[in-house]
Amino acid sequence: MLFFSFFKTLIDHEVTVELKNDIQIRGVLKSVDQYLNIKLDNIQVLEEIKYPHMSAVKNVFIRGSVVRYVHLPANAVDVPLLEDATRREAANQAGKGK
Amino acid sequence: MAEPRDETSGTVSEPLDLVRLLLDEVVCVKLRGDRELKGRLHAYDSHCNLVLGDVEETIYVVDEEDEEDVKTISKKSEMLFVRGDSVVLISPQTVSF
Amino acid sequence: MENLTISDAPPPPLQHHAGVGGQGGMPPILGRPPPPLQQLPAQMFTTAAQLLDLTDKKLMVALRDGRKLVGILRSWDQFANLVLQSTKERIFVAPETAPDQPRGLYADIDRGLFLVRGENVLLLGEIDLDKEDDAPPGYDLAEVELVQTLSKKRKQQDKAKEKQKVKMLSKEGFEGENVGEVLL
Repeated sequence: MLFFSFFKTLIDHEVTVELKNDIQIRGVLKSVDQYLNIKLDNIQVLEEIKYPHMSAVKNVFIRGSVVRYVHLPANAVDVPLLEDATRREAANQAGKGK
Repeated sequence: MAEPRDETSGTVSEPLDLVRLLLDEVVCVKLRGDRELKGRLHAYDSHCNLVLGDVEETIYVVDEEDEEDVKTISKKSEMLFVRGDSVVLISPQTVSF
Repeated sequence: MENLTISDAPPPPLQHHAGVGGQGGMPPILGRPPPPLQQLPAQMFTTAAQLLDLTDKKLMVALRDGRKLVGILRSWDQFANLVLQSTKERIFVAPETAPDQPRGLYADIDRGLFLVRGENVLLLGEIDLDKEDDAPPGYDLAEVELVQTLSKKRKQQDKAKEKQKVKMLSKEGFEGENVGEVLL
């Protein structure tokens, strides 16, 4: 749930999602769910000529399982808070793992 | 149920405990798809989903002209979420694998 | 944005059932007070909410095997299984696949009603109705047979390249990301 919550803090920021098939899609993060499926608005595809099927598409729902990276705006990430939340999640997980 | 554990202690009793000790350190990550990353670890979870800062990505590609030649492409990203299912290994050392 | 935190996650249910879980079984997190509640309504952040917006819209669906479908989304569930009506399969060939073909080509094949299993879905794109009749930049509409022939040829070329790549990179200690699967 850490990254689900994390992505919720990035709603309305511009991100670039890179898929496992190398396509990169830039757009405004509009929604995320527990599987880290992602919705982007006002998208723009990098190297458009390679991906003609995206030319008339204005917003996308991306299945979480096909994502390789999400490039994030660094200024939108509160690093100390994120690291803190990570430690808490790790402690939480350790308690229920066994 | 595990005995109560102090999250700040330095013990490593399961694999992800090692990753916990690497928080806020520079790590090397090897990925599927012929890629490696070097960057500062800001977050992870039990699926090995990661957030890295000041990342340098190295991609290994075969040269279009000379198909016997392997080249690398380098890319930078200031803040990167990495989906865990691509992660092969995480290492504290800055070695080339 | 300021109202959101990244420490507010309710505990994930032990099994990953959609919609199960909730606030009940919160274990104490090392004596910290319970996290603040999420400010935005939780129902905004479900698969269902995301797909609801796309229902009855004309969508481009990209599949894991590289196929592109265009159809109207009529039904779906939490796995992103989809029912598409009036589906067309759109095939593309990149520019310069054949020597005398500087521009890319595409063609549509009528397919009718489809149920697509969710795990095969890469992405769903809502089609901008103002742009749907325009050919993609650099591409022209062509005969289905021609596009199919060229697309077959292209796939063989790509396969050969991929084989060489896997061979070369395995020497460097890498293994293809999706061995045996064409992704595009």
